[in-house]
Amino acid sequence: MTTLKYILRDTWRLIVHHWVLGLLTLITAGVMLWILGVTTLFSLNLENLLSRLESELVVQAYLVKDNTLNVEQVAQKIQSLEYVYAMKIYSPSDSLAKLQEKMGSQSRALEMLGENPIPYNFEIHVHKAEDVEHLVDELNAMPEVDDVVYAGLVVKRISALSRISSRVALVMFILSVIITALVVYNTIHISLYSRREEIGIMYLVGATRAYIATPFVLEGTLLSLLGAGIAAAGIIGAYFPGITMIQANLPFLRNSIITDKAVIFRFCALLAGFGATLGWVCSYIIVARFINSITKPD
Amino acid sequence: MNITFSEVTKTFEPDITALFDVSLNIEQGEFVYVVGQTGSGKSTLLRLITRELLPSAGTVAVGGYDLRRMRRADVPYYRRDVGLVAQDFKLIPSLTVYENIAFVMEAMSVPKRLVAERTKDVINQVGLWRRRSMRPAQLSGGEQQRVAIARALANSPSLFIADEPTGNLDFHTAAEVMKILFAINAAGVTIVMSTHNQSIVNASRKRVIELEGGKLIRDEKGGLYQA
Repeated sequence: MTTLKYILRDTWRLIVHHWVLGLLTLITAGVMLWILGVTTLFSLNLENLLSRLESELVVQAYLVKDNTLNVEQVAQKIQSLEYVYAMKIYSPSDSLAKLQEKMGSQSRALEMLGENPIPYNFEIHVHKAEDVEHLVDELNAMPEVDDVVYAGLVVKRISALSRISSRVALVMFILSVIITALVVYNTIHISLYSRREEIGIMYLVGATRAYIATPFVLEGTLLSLLGAGIAAAGIIGAYFPGITMIQANLPFLRNSIITDKAVIFRFCALLAGFGATLGWVCSYIIVARFINSITKPD
Repeated sequence: MNITFSEVTKTFEPDITALFDVSLNIEQGEFVYVVGQTGSGKSTLLRLITRELLPSAGTVAVGGYDLRRMRRADVPYYRRDVGLVAQDFKLIPSLTVYENIAFVMEAMSVPKRLVAERTKDVINQVGLWRRRSMRPAQLSGGEQQRVAIARALANSPSLFIADEPTGNLDFHTAAEVMKILFAINAAGVTIVMSTHNQSIVNASRKRVIELEGGKLIRDEKGGLYQA
Protein backbone atom coordinates (compact mmCIF):
# COMPACT_ATOMS: atom_id res chain seq x y z
CA MET A 1 0.00 0.00 0.00
CA THR A 2 2.86 2.35 0.92
CA THR A 3 4.62 1.57 -2.37
CA LEU A 4 1.40 2.14 -4.30
CA LYS A 5 1.01 5.57 -2.70
CA TYR A 6 4.59 6.49 -3.62
CA ILE A 7 4.12 5.21 -7.17
CA LEU A 8 0.85 7.12 -7.64
CA ARG A 9 2.51 10.27 -6.34
CA ASP A 10 5.43 9.81 -8.76
CA THR A 11 2.99 9.22 -11.63
CA TRP A 12 1.25 12.48 -10.78
CA ARG A 13 4.65 14.23 -10.65
CA LEU A 14 5.49 12.87 -14.10
CA ILE A 15 2.23 14.09 -15.59
CA VAL A 16 2.55 17.53 -14.00
CA HIS A 17 6.21 17.79 -14.99
CA HIS A 18 5.43 17.07 -18.68
CA TRP A 19 1.94 18.57 -18.76
CA VAL A 20 2.27 20.17 -22.22
CA LEU A 21 3.42 16.91 -23.76
CA GLY A 22 0.76 15.08 -21.78
CA LEU A 23 -1.94 17.42 -23.04
CA LEU A 24 -0.82 16.93 -26.65
CA THR A 25 -0.87 13.17 -26.18
CA LEU A 26 -4.29 13.36 -24.61
CA ILE A 27 -5.68 15.40 -27.51
CA THR A 28 -4.05 13.27 -30.20
CA ALA A 29 -5.09 10.00 -28.55
CA GLY A 30 -8.59 11.45 -28.07
CA VAL A 31 -8.91 12.50 -31.73
CA MET A 32 -7.50 9.23 -33.09
CA LEU A 33 -9.69 7.10 -30.84
CA TRP A 34 -12.69 9.25 -31.76
CA ILE A 35 -11.96 8.62 -35.45
CA LEU A 36 -11.55 4.94 -34.64
CA GLY A 37 -14.87 4.90 -32.77
CA VAL A 38 -16.77 6.84 -35.44
CA THR A 39 -15.36 4.67 -38.23
CA THR A 40 -16.30 1.52 -36.35
CA LEU A 41 -19.81 2.80 -35.65
CA PHE A 42 -20.25 3.87 -39.28
CA SER A 43 -19.05 0.47 -40.38
CA LEU A 44 -21.41 -1.31 -37.95
CA ASN A 45 -24.35 0.74 -39.20
CA LEU A 46 -23.43 0.09 -42.83
CA GLU A 47 -23.12 -3.59 -42.03
CA ASN A 48 -26.57 -3.42 -40.43
CA LEU A 49 -28.02 -1.73 -43.50
CA LEU A 50 -26.37 -4.18 -45.89
CA SER A 51 -27.54 -7.21 -43.95
CA ARG A 52 -31.07 -5.79 -44.02
CA LEU A 53 -30.83 -5.32 -47.77
CA GLU A 54 -29.32 -8.78 -48.11
CA SER A 55 -32.16 -10.30 -46.13
CA GLU A 56 -34.56 -8.69 -48.57
CA LEU A 57 -32.79 -10.03 -51.63
CA VAL A 58 -34.92 -12.65 -53.39
CA VAL A 59 -34.09 -15.19 -56.08
CA GLN A 60 -37.13 -16.41 -57.98
CA ALA A 61 -36.78 -19.88 -59.52
CA TYR A 62 -39.43 -20.99 -62.07
CA LEU A 63 -39.84 -24.68 -62.74
CA VAL A 64 -40.43 -26.22 -66.15
CA LYS A 65 -44.09 -26.79 -67.03
CA ASP A 66 -44.39 -30.50 -66.58
CA ASN A 67 -47.35 -32.19 -64.93
CA THR A 68 -45.26 -35.23 -64.01
CA LEU A 69 -42.85 -33.12 -62.01
CA ASN A 70 -42.79 -33.81 -58.26
CA VAL A 71 -42.71 -30.26 -56.89
CA GLU A 72 -42.11 -31.41 -53.30
CA GLN A 73 -38.99 -33.31 -54.35
CA VAL A 74 -37.62 -30.31 -56.24
CA ALA A 75 -38.36 -28.10 -53.23
CA GLN A 76 -36.37 -30.44 -50.97
CA LYS A 77 -33.51 -30.46 -53.45
CA ILE A 78 -33.36 -26.66 -53.51
CA GLN A 79 -33.77 -26.39 -49.75
CA SER A 80 -30.72 -28.58 -49.28
CA LEU A 81 -28.47 -26.14 -51.17
CA GLU A 82 -26.01 -24.50 -48.75
CA TYR A 83 -26.77 -20.91 -49.77
CA VAL A 84 -30.52 -21.13 -49.10
CA TYR A 85 -31.63 -19.32 -45.96
CA ALA A 86 -35.42 -19.50 -46.46
CA MET A 87 -37.74 -20.59 -49.19
CA LYS A 88 -41.39 -20.25 -50.09
CA ILE A 89 -43.29 -22.29 -52.71
CA TYR A 90 -45.84 -20.62 -54.97
CA SER A 91 -48.28 -22.70 -56.98
CA PRO A 92 -49.36 -21.39 -60.42
CA SER A 93 -52.68 -20.20 -58.95
CA ASP A 94 -51.00 -18.50 -56.00
CA SER A 95 -48.61 -16.76 -58.37
CA LEU A 96 -51.40 -15.58 -60.59
CA ALA A 97 -53.35 -14.23 -57.63
CA LYS A 98 -50.27 -12.42 -56.43
CA LEU A 99 -49.71 -10.93 -59.87
CA GLN A 100 -53.32 -9.82 -60.11
CA GLU A 101 -53.07 -8.17 -56.75
CA LYS A 102 -49.94 -6.36 -57.84
CA MET A 103 -51.49 -5.18 -61.12
CA GLY A 104 -54.63 -3.88 -59.46
CA SER A 105 -57.16 -2.48 -61.95
CA GLN A 106 -55.06 -3.65 -64.91
CA SER A 107 -55.30 -7.26 -63.81
CA ARG A 108 -58.13 -7.89 -66.24
CA ALA A 109 -55.49 -8.03 -68.96
CA LEU A 110 -54.37 -11.33 -67.48
CA GLU A 111 -57.75 -12.90 -68.32
CA MET A 112 -56.89 -12.48 -71.99
CA LEU A 113 -54.08 -15.01 -71.59
CA GLY A 114 -56.58 -17.78 -71.13
CA GLU A 115 -54.57 -20.58 -69.49
CA ASN A 116 -52.43 -19.58 -66.49
CA PRO A 117 -48.89 -19.33 -67.97
CA ILE A 118 -47.09 -19.18 -64.62
CA PRO A 119 -45.43 -22.45 -63.50
CA TYR A 120 -44.61 -23.54 -59.95
CA ASN A 121 -41.97 -21.22 -58.57
CA PHE A 122 -39.88 -20.67 -55.46
CA GLU A 123 -39.06 -17.45 -53.68
CA ILE A 124 -35.59 -18.06 -52.16
CA HIS A 125 -33.77 -15.94 -49.57
CA VAL A 126 -30.00 -16.22 -49.15
CA HIS A 127 -27.67 -15.67 -46.18
CA LYS A 128 -25.46 -13.09 -47.91
CA ALA A 129 -25.62 -11.08 -51.13
CA GLU A 130 -22.45 -12.74 -52.38
CA ASP A 131 -24.22 -16.14 -52.18
CA VAL A 132 -26.74 -15.16 -54.85
CA GLU A 133 -24.46 -15.75 -57.84
CA HIS A 134 -23.50 -19.21 -56.59
CA LEU A 135 -27.12 -20.10 -55.92
CA VAL A 136 -28.20 -18.92 -59.37
CA ASP A 137 -25.47 -21.05 -60.99
CA GLU A 138 -26.65 -24.12 -59.08
CA LEU A 139 -30.32 -23.46 -59.88
CA ASN A 140 -29.56 -22.99 -63.58
CA ALA A 141 -27.78 -26.34 -63.60
CA MET A 142 -30.92 -28.13 -62.37
CA PRO A 143 -33.02 -29.66 -65.23
CA GLU A 144 -36.25 -29.00 -63.29
CA VAL A 145 -35.62 -25.24 -63.27
CA ASP A 146 -36.72 -23.38 -66.36
CA ASP A 147 -35.72 -19.83 -65.42
CA VAL A 148 -34.11 -17.89 -62.59
CA VAL A 149 -34.92 -14.24 -61.96
CA TYR A 150 -32.95 -12.02 -59.55
CA ALA A 151 -31.73 -8.46 -59.17
CA GLY A 152 -28.22 -9.18 -60.46
CA LEU A 153 -26.87 -5.62 -60.52
CA VAL A 154 -28.19 -4.84 -57.05
CA VAL A 155 -26.59 -8.02 -55.72
CA LYS A 156 -23.27 -7.15 -57.27
CA ARG A 157 -23.35 -3.61 -55.89
CA ILE A 158 -24.30 -4.69 -52.39
CA SER A 159 -21.58 -7.33 -52.37
CA ALA A 160 -19.00 -4.81 -53.59
CA LEU A 161 -20.15 -2.20 -51.07
CA SER A 162 -20.00 -4.73 -48.27
CA ARG A 163 -16.45 -5.74 -49.22
CA ILE A 164 -15.29 -2.11 -49.58
CA SER A 165 -16.84 -1.04 -46.29
CA SER A 166 -15.16 -3.92 -44.46
CA ARG A 167 -11.80 -3.05 -45.98
CA VAL A 168 -12.13 0.69 -45.29
CA ALA A 169 -13.10 -0.03 -41.69
CA LEU A 170 -10.14 -2.37 -41.31
CA VAL A 171 -7.71 0.18 -42.80
CA MET A 172 -9.09 2.97 -40.61
CA PHE A 173 -8.88 0.72 -37.57
CA ILE A 174 -5.25 -0.20 -38.25
CA LEU A 175 -4.30 3.44 -39.03
CA SER A 176 -5.94 4.78 -35.88
CA VAL A 177 -4.33 2.11 -33.73
CA ILE A 178 -0.88 2.74 -35.23
CA ILE A 179 -1.11 6.53 -34.87
CA THR A 180 -2.42 6.33 -31.28
CA ALA A 181 0.24 3.77 -30.39
CA LEU A 182 3.01 5.89 -31.94
CA VAL A 183 1.88 9.05 -30.13
CA VAL A 184 1.75 7.31 -26.73
CA TYR A 185 5.04 5.52 -27.45
CA ASN A 186 6.78 8.80 -28.34
CA THR A 187 5.37 10.69 -25.36
CA ILE A 188 6.61 8.08 -22.94
CA HIS A 189 9.93 7.89 -24.79
CA ILE A 190 10.41 11.67 -24.49
CA SER A 191 9.33 11.51 -20.85
CA LEU A 192 11.86 8.75 -20.20
CA TYR A 193 14.61 10.39 -22.22
CA SER A 194 14.25 13.72 -20.43
CA ARG A 195 14.56 11.86 -17.13
CA ARG A 196 17.23 9.34 -18.13
CA GLU A 197 19.72 10.84 -15.66
CA GLU A 198 17.17 10.62 -12.84
CA ILE A 199 16.39 7.02 -13.77
CA GLY A 200 20.10 6.19 -13.62
CA ILE A 201 20.39 7.85 -10.19
CA MET A 202 17.28 6.08 -8.89
CA TYR A 203 18.70 2.72 -9.93
CA LEU A 204 22.08 3.59 -8.45
CA VAL A 205 20.62 4.36 -5.03
CA GLY A 206 18.62 1.16 -4.84
CA ALA A 207 15.25 1.65 -6.57
CA THR A 208 14.08 -1.51 -8.33
CA ARG A 209 13.35 -1.42 -12.05
CA ALA A 210 9.67 -2.08 -11.37
CA TYR A 211 9.51 0.86 -8.95
CA ILE A 212 11.13 3.16 -11.54
CA ALA A 213 9.09 1.84 -14.47
CA THR A 214 5.59 1.74 -13.00
CA PRO A 215 4.94 5.52 -12.90
CA PHE A 216 5.92 5.81 -16.58
CA VAL A 217 3.67 2.90 -17.57
CA LEU A 218 0.84 4.38 -15.51
CA GLU A 219 1.39 7.78 -17.16
CA GLY A 220 0.98 6.23 -20.65
CA THR A 221 -2.01 4.15 -19.60
CA LEU A 222 -3.71 7.07 -17.87
CA LEU A 223 -3.19 9.46 -20.81
CA SER A 224 -4.60 6.87 -23.23
CA LEU A 225 -7.55 6.14 -20.94
CA LEU A 226 -8.34 9.84 -20.62
CA GLY A 227 -7.94 10.23 -24.39
CA ALA A 228 -10.35 7.33 -24.90
CA GLY A 229 -12.73 8.93 -22.38
CA ILE A 230 -12.69 12.17 -24.37
CA ALA A 231 -13.25 10.16 -27.57
CA ALA A 232 -16.18 8.30 -25.98
CA ALA A 233 -17.75 11.56 -24.79
CA GLY A 234 -17.28 13.00 -28.30
CA ILE A 235 -18.91 9.96 -29.88
CA ILE A 236 -21.92 10.06 -27.56
CA GLY A 237 -22.20 13.81 -28.10
CA ALA A 238 -22.14 13.48 -31.89
CA TYR A 239 -23.85 10.14 -32.50
CA PHE A 240 -27.33 10.67 -31.08
CA PRO A 241 -27.95 14.11 -32.65
CA GLY A 242 -26.49 12.64 -35.87
CA ILE A 243 -28.90 9.71 -36.03
CA THR A 244 -31.86 11.94 -35.15
CA MET A 245 -30.98 14.09 -38.16
CA ILE A 246 -30.51 11.06 -40.45
CA GLN A 247 -33.81 9.53 -39.35
CA ALA A 248 -35.60 12.82 -40.04
CA ASN A 249 -34.13 13.27 -43.52
CA LEU A 250 -33.72 9.67 -44.66
CA PRO A 251 -36.69 7.79 -43.15
CA PHE A 252 -35.99 4.60 -45.17
CA LEU A 253 -32.85 4.13 -43.08
CA ARG A 254 -34.80 4.25 -39.82
CA ASN A 255 -34.67 0.51 -39.16
CA SER A 256 -31.07 0.10 -40.26
CA ILE A 257 -29.42 2.43 -37.76
CA ILE A 258 -28.23 1.36 -34.30
CA THR A 259 -30.28 3.48 -31.91
CA ASP A 260 -30.07 1.44 -28.72
CA LYS A 261 -28.37 3.68 -26.14
CA ALA A 262 -27.15 0.69 -24.12
CA VAL A 263 -25.32 -0.64 -27.19
CA ILE A 264 -23.62 2.71 -27.81
CA PHE A 265 -22.62 3.11 -24.15
CA ARG A 266 -21.23 -0.42 -24.11
CA PHE A 267 -19.35 0.37 -27.31
CA CYS A 268 -17.85 3.51 -25.70
CA ALA A 269 -16.83 1.55 -22.59
CA LEU A 270 -15.13 -0.95 -24.88
CA LEU A 271 -13.35 1.90 -26.68
CA ALA A 272 -12.10 3.31 -23.35
CA GLY A 273 -10.85 -0.14 -22.34
CA PHE A 274 -9.19 -0.54 -25.70
CA GLY A 275 -7.50 2.88 -25.39
CA ALA A 276 -6.18 2.09 -21.92
CA THR A 277 -4.90 -1.31 -23.02
CA LEU A 278 -3.20 0.21 -26.05
CA GLY A 279 -1.53 2.84 -23.84
CA TRP A 280 -0.45 0.21 -21.33
CA VAL A 281 1.07 -2.06 -23.98
CA CYS A 282 2.96 0.81 -25.71
CA SER A 283 4.23 2.28 -22.44
CA TYR A 284 5.26 -1.11 -21.12
CA ILE A 285 7.28 -1.92 -24.25
CA ILE A 286 9.16 1.38 -24.36
CA VAL A 287 9.73 1.58 -20.59
CA ALA A 288 11.02 -2.00 -20.40
CA ARG A 289 13.40 -1.42 -23.32
CA PHE A 290 14.62 1.95 -22.06
CA ILE A 291 15.18 0.93 -18.45
CA ASN A 292 16.89 -2.29 -19.54
CA SER A 293 19.34 -0.33 -21.66
CA ILE A 294 20.02 2.32 -19.01
CA THR A 295 20.52 -0.10 -16.11
CA LYS A 296 22.71 -2.60 -17.94
CA PRO A 297 26.24 -2.63 -16.45
CA ASP A 298 29.08 -1.96 -18.95
CA MET B 1 31.24 -5.25 4.49
CA ASN B 2 34.57 -6.43 3.13
CA ILE B 3 35.65 -6.02 -0.48
CA THR B 4 37.87 -8.40 -2.42
CA PHE B 5 39.35 -7.79 -5.87
CA SER B 6 40.98 -10.91 -7.35
CA GLU B 7 43.13 -10.31 -10.46
CA VAL B 8 40.62 -7.83 -11.80
CA THR B 9 41.08 -6.42 -15.28
CA LYS B 10 38.64 -4.02 -16.89
CA THR B 11 38.89 -3.09 -20.55
CA PHE B 12 36.63 -0.80 -22.55
CA GLU B 13 35.99 -0.95 -26.28
CA PRO B 14 37.91 -0.70 -28.51
CA ASP B 15 41.10 -1.36 -26.58
CA ILE B 16 41.39 0.70 -23.40
CA THR B 17 42.59 -1.07 -20.28
CA ALA B 18 41.28 0.90 -17.30
CA LEU B 19 42.37 -1.61 -14.65
CA PHE B 20 44.90 -4.37 -15.02
CA ASP B 21 45.29 -7.39 -12.77
CA VAL B 22 44.28 -5.63 -9.56
CA SER B 23 44.04 -7.70 -6.39
CA LEU B 24 43.23 -6.20 -3.00
CA ASN B 25 41.21 -6.79 0.11
CA ILE B 26 39.41 -4.16 2.20
CA GLU B 27 38.15 -5.21 5.62
CA GLN B 28 34.90 -4.14 7.28
CA GLY B 29 35.26 -0.72 8.99
CA GLU B 30 38.39 0.36 7.07
CA PHE B 31 38.87 3.85 5.63
CA VAL B 32 40.69 3.63 2.32
CA TYR B 33 41.86 6.41 0.04
CA VAL B 34 42.25 5.57 -3.65
CA VAL B 35 44.73 7.97 -5.22
CA GLY B 36 46.32 8.40 -8.63
CA GLN B 37 46.34 10.70 -11.60
CA THR B 38 43.30 11.33 -13.76
CA GLY B 39 42.73 8.25 -15.92
CA SER B 40 44.61 5.96 -13.55
CA GLY B 41 41.50 3.83 -12.95
CA LYS B 42 40.19 5.19 -9.62
CA SER B 43 36.60 5.70 -10.77
CA THR B 44 36.60 2.37 -12.60
CA LEU B 45 37.60 0.65 -9.36
CA LEU B 46 34.77 2.35 -7.45
CA ARG B 47 32.24 1.66 -10.21
CA LEU B 48 33.17 -2.01 -10.11
CA ILE B 49 32.28 -2.01 -6.41
CA THR B 50 28.89 -0.39 -7.05
CA ARG B 51 28.34 -2.83 -9.95
CA GLU B 52 27.91 -0.08 -12.50
CA LEU B 53 30.67 -1.96 -14.30
CA LEU B 54 31.50 -5.65 -14.51
CA PRO B 55 35.11 -6.85 -14.67
CA SER B 56 36.44 -8.14 -17.98
CA ALA B 57 38.51 -10.67 -16.05
CA GLY B 58 38.88 -11.63 -12.40
CA THR B 59 36.27 -11.29 -9.66
CA VAL B 60 34.97 -8.52 -7.45
CA ALA B 61 33.31 -9.77 -4.29
CA VAL B 62 31.55 -7.54 -1.76
CA GLY B 63 30.34 -8.98 1.53
CA GLY B 64 31.02 -12.44 0.11
CA TYR B 65 28.92 -11.87 -3.05
CA ASP B 66 30.57 -12.27 -6.45
CA LEU B 67 29.11 -9.20 -8.14
CA ARG B 68 29.32 -10.72 -11.62
CA ARG B 69 27.06 -13.58 -10.54
CA MET B 70 24.58 -11.30 -8.85
CA ARG B 71 21.15 -11.47 -10.51
CA ARG B 72 20.00 -8.20 -12.06
CA ALA B 73 16.92 -8.17 -9.86
CA ASP B 74 19.14 -8.32 -6.75
CA VAL B 75 21.28 -5.32 -7.71
CA PRO B 76 18.93 -2.68 -6.16
CA TYR B 77 18.88 -4.60 -2.87
CA TYR B 78 22.69 -4.74 -2.86
CA ARG B 79 22.95 -1.03 -3.62
CA ARG B 80 20.70 -0.16 -0.69
CA ASP B 81 23.57 -1.32 1.51
CA VAL B 82 26.10 0.79 -0.39
CA GLY B 83 26.07 4.55 0.17
CA LEU B 84 27.33 6.37 -2.90
CA VAL B 85 28.68 9.91 -3.06
CA ALA B 86 29.77 11.03 -6.51
CA GLN B 87 31.85 14.02 -7.51
CA ASP B 88 28.95 15.35 -9.57
CA PHE B 89 26.58 14.70 -6.60
CA LYS B 90 24.02 12.79 -8.70
CA LEU B 91 21.04 14.55 -7.13
CA ILE B 92 17.65 14.59 -8.84
CA PRO B 93 17.21 18.22 -9.98
CA SER B 94 13.41 18.24 -9.87
CA LEU B 95 13.25 17.13 -6.22
CA THR B 96 13.95 19.15 -3.09
CA VAL B 97 16.71 18.29 -0.61
CA TYR B 98 14.15 16.49 1.54
CA GLU B 99 12.65 14.57 -1.40
CA ASN B 100 16.07 13.57 -2.75
CA ILE B 101 16.87 11.89 0.55
CA ALA B 102 13.41 10.54 1.31
CA PHE B 103 13.24 8.93 -2.13
CA VAL B 104 15.88 6.32 -1.24
CA MET B 105 13.71 5.03 1.60
CA GLU B 106 10.46 5.36 -0.33
CA ALA B 107 11.92 3.06 -2.99
CA MET B 108 12.23 0.49 -0.19
CA SER B 109 8.55 0.97 0.75
CA VAL B 110 9.44 2.42 4.15
CA PRO B 111 6.29 3.94 5.71
CA LYS B 112 5.97 7.71 5.42
CA ARG B 113 6.34 8.39 9.15
CA LEU B 114 9.63 6.51 9.37
CA VAL B 115 10.86 8.15 6.18
CA ALA B 116 10.13 11.57 7.72
CA GLU B 117 12.01 10.72 10.93
CA ARG B 118 15.07 9.27 9.23
CA THR B 119 15.22 12.05 6.60
CA LYS B 120 15.14 14.67 9.34
CA ASP B 121 17.91 12.81 11.18
CA VAL B 122 20.31 12.64 8.24
CA ILE B 123 19.61 16.19 7.08
CA ASN B 124 20.40 17.40 10.60
CA GLN B 125 23.54 15.25 10.58
CA VAL B 126 24.87 17.21 7.58
CA GLY B 127 23.50 20.50 8.94
CA LEU B 128 21.06 21.32 6.13
CA TRP B 129 17.64 21.22 7.81
CA ARG B 130 16.98 24.87 6.97
CA ARG B 131 17.69 24.11 3.30
CA ARG B 132 15.38 21.06 3.12
CA SER B 133 12.84 22.66 0.78
CA MET B 134 15.38 23.89 -1.74
CA ARG B 135 16.22 22.20 -5.01
CA PRO B 136 19.83 21.20 -5.79
CA ALA B 137 20.30 24.12 -8.20
CA GLN B 138 19.62 26.55 -5.33
CA LEU B 139 22.44 25.12 -3.21
CA SER B 140 26.21 25.67 -3.26
CA GLY B 141 28.55 22.83 -4.32
CA GLY B 142 29.40 22.03 -0.70
CA GLU B 143 25.76 21.90 0.27
CA GLN B 144 24.95 19.63 -2.65
CA GLN B 145 27.77 17.35 -1.61
CA ARG B 146 26.35 17.23 1.90
CA VAL B 147 22.92 16.35 0.52
CA ALA B 148 24.55 13.52 -1.43
CA ILE B 149 26.20 12.32 1.80
CA ALA B 150 22.91 12.54 3.67
CA ARG B 151 21.21 10.52 0.94
CA ALA B 152 23.96 7.90 1.09
CA LEU B 153 23.47 7.73 4.86
CA ALA B 154 19.71 7.36 4.70
CA ASN B 155 19.70 3.57 4.46
CA SER B 156 22.43 3.20 7.12
CA PRO B 157 24.74 1.44 4.66
CA SER B 158 27.63 -0.79 5.69
CA LEU B 159 29.76 0.43 2.81
CA PHE B 160 30.33 4.02 1.70
CA ILE B 161 31.77 4.76 -1.74
CA ALA B 162 32.89 8.34 -2.33
CA ASP B 163 34.25 9.32 -5.73
CA GLU B 164 36.23 12.54 -5.24
CA PRO B 165 33.67 13.99 -2.82
CA THR B 166 35.80 17.05 -2.16
CA GLY B 167 36.81 17.59 -5.79
CA ASN B 168 34.60 20.61 -6.32
CA LEU B 169 34.85 22.09 -2.85
CA ASP B 170 36.96 24.79 -1.22
CA PHE B 171 39.28 23.92 1.65
CA HIS B 172 36.85 24.65 4.49
CA THR B 173 33.88 22.90 2.92
CA ALA B 174 36.07 19.92 2.05
CA ALA B 175 37.18 19.74 5.68
CA GLU B 176 33.55 19.76 6.81
CA VAL B 177 32.68 16.94 4.42
CA MET B 178 35.65 14.92 5.64
CA LYS B 179 34.56 15.45 9.24
CA ILE B 180 31.22 13.84 8.37
CA LEU B 181 32.94 10.94 6.59
CA PHE B 182 35.24 10.26 9.56
CA ALA B 183 32.22 10.24 11.86
CA ILE B 184 30.49 7.71 9.62
CA ASN B 185 33.63 5.56 9.57
CA ALA B 186 33.88 5.77 13.34
CA ALA B 187 30.44 4.12 13.45
CA GLY B 188 31.94 1.05 11.72
CA VAL B 189 31.06 1.81 8.10
CA THR B 190 33.67 0.84 5.49
CA ILE B 191 34.67 3.88 3.41
CA VAL B 192 36.42 3.78 0.06
CA MET B 193 37.15 7.28 -1.22
CA SER B 194 38.99 8.38 -4.33
CA THR B 195 40.67 11.76 -4.13
CA HIS B 196 43.21 14.16 -5.57
CA ASN B 197 43.34 16.16 -2.35
CA GLN B 198 46.85 15.68 -0.94
CA SER B 199 46.30 17.63 2.28
CA ILE B 200 43.28 15.54 3.27
CA VAL B 201 45.13 12.27 2.67
CA ASN B 202 48.27 13.46 4.39
CA ALA B 203 46.41 14.85 7.41
CA SER B 204 44.44 11.70 8.20
CA ARG B 205 47.06 8.98 7.52
CA LYS B 206 44.65 6.20 6.54
CA ARG B 207 45.24 3.29 4.18
CA VAL B 208 46.22 4.52 0.70
CA ILE B 209 45.81 2.55 -2.51
CA GLU B 210 47.61 4.13 -5.45
CA LEU B 211 46.85 3.37 -9.07
CA GLU B 212 48.87 4.23 -12.14
CA GLY B 213 47.81 3.38 -15.69
CA GLY B 214 45.25 0.93 -14.28
CA LYS B 215 47.80 -0.94 -12.16
CA LEU B 216 47.94 -1.09 -8.38
CA ILE B 217 51.37 0.34 -7.54
CA ARG B 218 51.00 0.98 -3.79
CA ASP B 219 48.84 -0.32 -0.94
CA GLU B 220 50.06 1.27 2.30
CA LYS B 221 48.43 1.55 5.72
CA GLY B 222 48.77 4.99 7.30
CA GLY B 223 50.16 6.25 4.01
CA LEU B 224 50.70 9.67 2.49
CA TYR B 225 49.36 10.93 -0.83
CA GLN B 226 52.75 10.34 -2.42
CA ALA B 227 55.08 7.55 -1.41
